[in-house]
Amino acid sequence: MDIERTQKRRIRPDTLSAILMVGPVTLVMVLLVAIPLIYVAAMSFCSIDEFYNVTSDLTMDNYVRLMDADYMRIYARSLFIAFVTTILCILIGYPFSYIIARTKSRRKKVLYMLVIIPFWTNSLIRIYGWRSFLGTNGWLNSLIIALHITDGPIDMLYRNGTTILGMVYCLIPFMILPLYTAIEKLDASLLEASYDLGAHPARTFLEVILPLTSGGIFSGSLMVFIPCLGYFFVSDILGGGNSDMIGNLIERQFQSGNNWPLGAALSIVLILLTLILVKIYQRLGGDMDALGV
Amino acid sequence: MKKKVMSLLLAVTVSMLMLSGCGNAGKTDNGELNVFIWTEYVSEGAIADFQDQYGIKVNVSTYSSNEDMLSKLKSESEGAYDVLLPSDYAVEYLVAQDKLEKLDREELPNLKNIDDSYLDPSYDPGNLYSVPYEGGVACIAVNTSKVDREITSYDDLFDPALEGQIVVLDDTRAVIGMTARSMGYSMNETDRTVLSEIQEKLMSLKQNVRLYDSDSPKSALISGDCAVGMVWSAEIAMAMEENPDIEIVYPSEGAYVFLDNWVVPKGARNYDNAMKFINYMLSADAAKENISEFPYLCPNKKALELMGDDYVSNQAKNVPAEVIKNGEFVKYLDADTLAVYDEMWTKLKE
Repeated sequence: MDIERTQKRRIRPDTLSAILMVGPVTLVMVLLVAIPLIYVAAMSFCSIDEFYNVTSDLTMDNYVRLMDADYMRIYARSLFIAFVTTILCILIGYPFSYIIARTKSRRKKVLYMLVIIPFWTNSLIRIYGWRSFLGTNGWLNSLIIALHITDGPIDMLYRNGTTILGMVYCLIPFMILPLYTAIEKLDASLLEASYDLGAHPARTFLEVILPLTSGGIFSGSLMVFIPCLGYFFVSDILGGGNSDMIGNLIERQFQSGNNWPLGAALSIVLILLTLILVKIYQRLGGDMDALGV
Repeated sequence: MKKKVMSLLLAVTVSMLMLSGCGNAGKTDNGELNVFIWTEYVSEGAIADFQDQYGIKVNVSTYSSNEDMLSKLKSESEGAYDVLLPSDYAVEYLVAQDKLEKLDREELPNLKNIDDSYLDPSYDPGNLYSVPYEGGVACIAVNTSKVDREITSYDDLFDPALEGQIVVLDDTRAVIGMTARSMGYSMNETDRTVLSEIQEKLMSLKQNVRLYDSDSPKSALISGDCAVGMVWSAEIAMAMEENPDIEIVYPSEGAYVFLDNWVVPKGARNYDNAMKFINYMLSADAAKENISEFPYLCPNKKALELMGDDYVSNQAKNVPAEVIKNGEFVKYLDADTLAVYDEMWTKLKE
């Protein structure tokens, strides 16, 4: 009895403060994450009447419509663009992160800031900037013509490649920052040991550096790949709207398509796709904390 | 502790500032009016003048598509808005669902200013629920320094010679509608076999389109990124001012025409003020102010008399009456047909 009472007394103030600390967060999560998610999931099984109003007649039609080959192709292309974007981000981001993480120069902070500063401007505005930079009468073409490299302007806008360029540009900080953290944690004595044992730089990189920083590559890839599937404004502005991505499909159902349940079903598929990717990440030994979520 | 006090003080100051922002200037003894209108379409000056003259406080909210407006209307309780400005097909859609109040003609003496050719439209016979504000046409812009051949019709836009040179509206109904008209069909076809014919021709447009843009298609025309456009007449008017090589062409098949209209939603709390507002917007002065700022077509014949030559003689701004007469309005479609249109569009943009 006596012990129980003291335990109770000991726990109570803790629980109270725990509730005070966790309560608001839980409330916010329930209100802003759980309820909207349930709402979207429920909506995806609803139908619409002749005036496009959502009705509560439950149906699987929305998901059946998604099996259509056109939608499948758009999903496949979105995944492809996201994949290429991720690979490019790794190829460009890795050497860059390595240099800023390992440099002993005083400019280290400056280099780091150079990655962060563009974040202070809205990405939509920066993407519009690319459009006027790459346009037929844009800066780049004016420069090329002024230097007599070509006679006429080069057609650079509104292509799949331009979309990927915009994606890489928007998302590369998400690759660089986790890579930077991973590379900075690298123990220099391990590299010395590798060299002392006679390994040449390429072998050191492949067998020591790369395995030790793979966590950074994984979390960076996830943080590039997932937003890439949803950044429809990049393909709209730089791709000219010529090739839809998943995000465009979803947006359209809430606008001119006027079919909210179908839009909800498309969103649910996107959420499931994301969850699968996160699961794969965890399976590969990825650390959820490294994602900063 | 000091930090806590400081942050508390800050919070109080901020909330005081926010509260003080709620006070309103000017005399507004005659109640208020909640209007829900297109962005960049009604002159703020004209609204302010109405507010001063009638002592009615006008609260303005804006939308950028009919669909935006309709979904907002669904989610708000009845009576949230007193005046809306929907396009033709959206008026028809609202009437069909009994979502609009009838307009009191006695309170709208300025309706006589509107040209007869804009009255009694197909989407609201007898103008029981709506009166026209401004409108426009989806027509063709041609940069004559870049295109050799003559372009006179929607059908010409399908010429393979124009590969990768066209900017079109990022608008399902406008692009599919244009394709239908180029084949002699209506923009509102529902027959599935006709629609699959239209689909086939639509796909041949794909290689000609360089850019889909509804927000500011004029930029691609002005910069020269696109040589030909199928865009709103007012956009062409603005492009012509920046780039003298651009010309406007009204398609020979008859164009996609739109008119936006003043309406009062069911359950409006300030019906009388709404009538005063609409009547004021129909006055020649207010219409002139609106047209000067946003150069769409002007159904107000009294305002037209007040407009300068740069508006009246400009084909892109002052759209000729026969273009409106030969044109066609988009109609709202039943959900199943709209789904077919949406699939056609998905195939085009894939």
